[in-house]
Amino acid sequence: MATIVNVPEEKVLHVNNFEFTYASSDTPNIKKLSMPIAKNCVTALIGPSGCGKTTLLRSFNRMHDLYPGNVYAGEVLFEGRNILNPKEDLIALRAKIGMIFQKPTAFPMSIFDNVAYGLRLQGIKNRSELNDKVEKALKDAAIWNEVSSRLKHDANGLSGGQQQRLCIARAIAVEPEILLFDEPTSALDPISTQGIEMLVSELKERVSIVIVTHNMQQAARVSDYTGFMYLGELIELGQTEELFVTPKEKLTEEYITGKFG
Amino acid sequence: MSVIIDKLFALSTKITALSVLLIVAWIFTVLFQHSMESLNAFGFDFITETKWAPNLEKFGALPAITGSVISTFLAMMLAVPIAIGVAIFLSEIAHHRLKAPVGISIELLAAIPSVVYGMWGLFYFVPIIRDMFGGLGIGMLTAGIVLAIMILPFMAAVTRDAMNTTPDILKESAYALGATKWDVVKDIVIPYAKAGIIGSLILALGRAIGETMAVTFVMGNVHKISTDLTAPATSIPVTLANEFTEADTDLYFSSLFELSLILLVISFTIISIAKFYFLRRKRSL
Amino acid sequence: MTYRQKRIAINNIVMTLSTISALIGLGFLLWILGVLVFNGIEALNIGIFINEGAPPGYGESGLKHALVGQLLIVLYATAVGVPLGVLAGTYLSEYAQDSKLAQTIRDISDIMMSAPSIVIGAFVYAIIVMPMGHFSGYAGAAALAIIMIPIILRTTDDMLQLVPSTLREAAFALGAPKYKVVIQVVYRGAKAGILTGILLGIARVAGETAPLLFTSFNDNFMNTDMSQAMASLTVTMYNYATSPYEDWQRLGWAAAFILSMFILGLNIIGRLFLLRKRGK
Repeated sequence: MATIVNVPEEKVLHVNNFEFTYASSDTPNIKKLSMPIAKNCVTALIGPSGCGKTTLLRSFNRMHDLYPGNVYAGEVLFEGRNILNPKEDLIALRAKIGMIFQKPTAFPMSIFDNVAYGLRLQGIKNRSELNDKVEKALKDAAIWNEVSSRLKHDANGLSGGQQQRLCIARAIAVEPEILLFDEPTSALDPISTQGIEMLVSELKERVSIVIVTHNMQQAARVSDYTGFMYLGELIELGQTEELFVTPKEKLTEEYITGKFG
Repeated sequence: MSVIIDKLFALSTKITALSVLLIVAWIFTVLFQHSMESLNAFGFDFITETKWAPNLEKFGALPAITGSVISTFLAMMLAVPIAIGVAIFLSEIAHHRLKAPVGISIELLAAIPSVVYGMWGLFYFVPIIRDMFGGLGIGMLTAGIVLAIMILPFMAAVTRDAMNTTPDILKESAYALGATKWDVVKDIVIPYAKAGIIGSLILALGRAIGETMAVTFVMGNVHKISTDLTAPATSIPVTLANEFTEADTDLYFSSLFELSLILLVISFTIISIAKFYFLRRKRSL
Repeated sequence: MTYRQKRIAINNIVMTLSTISALIGLGFLLWILGVLVFNGIEALNIGIFINEGAPPGYGESGLKHALVGQLLIVLYATAVGVPLGVLAGTYLSEYAQDSKLAQTIRDISDIMMSAPSIVIGAFVYAIIVMPMGHFSGYAGAAALAIIMIPIILRTTDDMLQLVPSTLREAAFALGAPKYKVVIQVVYRGAKAGILTGILLGIARVAGETAPLLFTSFNDNFMNTDMSQAMASLTVTMYNYATSPYEDWQRLGWAAAFILSMFILGLNIIGRLFLLRKRGK
């Protein structure tokens, strides 16, 4: 069984005996995993590639449902219900649990329309309301100063780091409860990475964050809790400082000291 | 010795490759030369004249050109929405167990010779049109519909390929904001793959306008411009297919060569627009 | 209705519409396929393969002459088109690579692949039929070869480029001259792909009718002399189908069935080659 530290904060998600099997696989790719996700905190998921951390993350907004044949089991509790229920309204769920991807995913439209996209999906048509919300989201994502003069320009003209912040602005514009980050800086240069990391730390006051990262330093810098996964199982969930300084599990220690990975 | 063989091999590949350009240039030259007599006799009037009367040595291409344009236009009007529907179905809706078999069937149907589509049209579709609209059942409308069905598999397959170039991660990002499938198709897939989709449709248009056998059976080869779509008509390829072996004078032949040249120029232009303007990105296998 | 419900309703409507259009499209195509198979099998009998064409009412007619003619024309076209196409593709991939000339040849070939085939027929009529004074199997084969070359050229070019450059470098490092590297290493590496291209090229020209109408023309009797007019399945199909005689129309369906199965077979075999290669 995994070693799980006591989480005093309110939980935004509760994972209970979660199992996940890809369509192409005979055995579960995530096995009997349980963990709490604390509200208004940053929880990092680390582990060697193929350990299932991204798979777990993509289960929280049911991204796997886009591809046929994948099977969930167990529970992921959000707002008091199990979101793995086949009847769950995925359109509403995904509006509440946003996601940032490995690569910037600017849509083929203007900067303004990118950020307004989720708002328009929710039926906001009023121009001044849209303007206000887009401006606020861009400010919160620390990119307003760079783009305010060219909101009508194609978003693909921005640099990679700018595009990723634009995607964050797009995700927070709809005011989600949770933001899922899937290795958000893996395609970025060090300076852009620093910008995204600062943003993650600031955003947690308003939204709960789960971040998958292959970079242990990044987990140490931005997160409050860190979960270490290995071969589809959670080995240890601890307060970040504790986990990196005094890991309770031998596997965790070997991984963070670089014995494998 | 080896050096000589090496040079010879390199040279022979180069000559064959250049021969492709040579053949194309040769085709244009030969068609142009053989069109000279007709060009001299009719000049520009050839394409504005409505009368095509071999017995009077009078040749006007307007009915054939109009027929090509209208039948192809009809075919596009019918085939484009269905092809886009099929492409959306194949790339976004179909169950994964259906995607491959349906997709491959459509590609295989694109390989069936167009003469078979023409035969089907003549024996099975003409009677339906005849019952519905009276008359002979052959003409512009029938030709447009048969042409639409013939071009549909190709059009659907290339449109689907264009749509499939949209990166999954981009679609996922939209789903992650709570988009529906249709939202993703209209806001992400179509804008992203716009150039590819339009290029594919135009490429299909280029093929349709030069298509001979699917329409020859059901067009009628009557050189008359009519507002009645169910009346027999003709198009450039239909005229060529019917009359090339019947031509008995030099001017008649020359007029047919000029028709060929016009057809070649039209389809070359359309295909070039598709290719150079919309499909510039190199297609990977 | 809330905006959300409206969006979901629109989504359902559009998704239903595309599914319906897919069903309409597939329905028509299944109809054609059904007609082809039903009429084809009904018309098939052994006489088709042993009898030649006969005027309606004068004994049993068959398709032997058309089958043999078709085979000969496609064979000659392949014998010319394949080597030229493969060599030209080799030049693009192995010698010219990304040069402007190579790019131009690629572009022109792509355009030629979609150009109207009846125009090729007119061209061949001018350069072969007119000087010879009569239709001939050679003229038909020439028209098909011209259509085939760009297809073979492009697939060869693409398939050779898929061969990893390390393989070429390894062969060069052993001191092999370029022609040996190309023939012994690159061709071998791209064998399945080139073969697929050839099969698809043959399948494509085998179904062509328009360029044969006034090149190889037609003949109702057995003829193996390529310098004379010659029957083909496609032209026979066209002539028989447009004739008023039911017997001939039946033969037309038999020809359509045989030809379509041959072409579908080539396509399927070609795909299997590629799949097997990818599986490795």
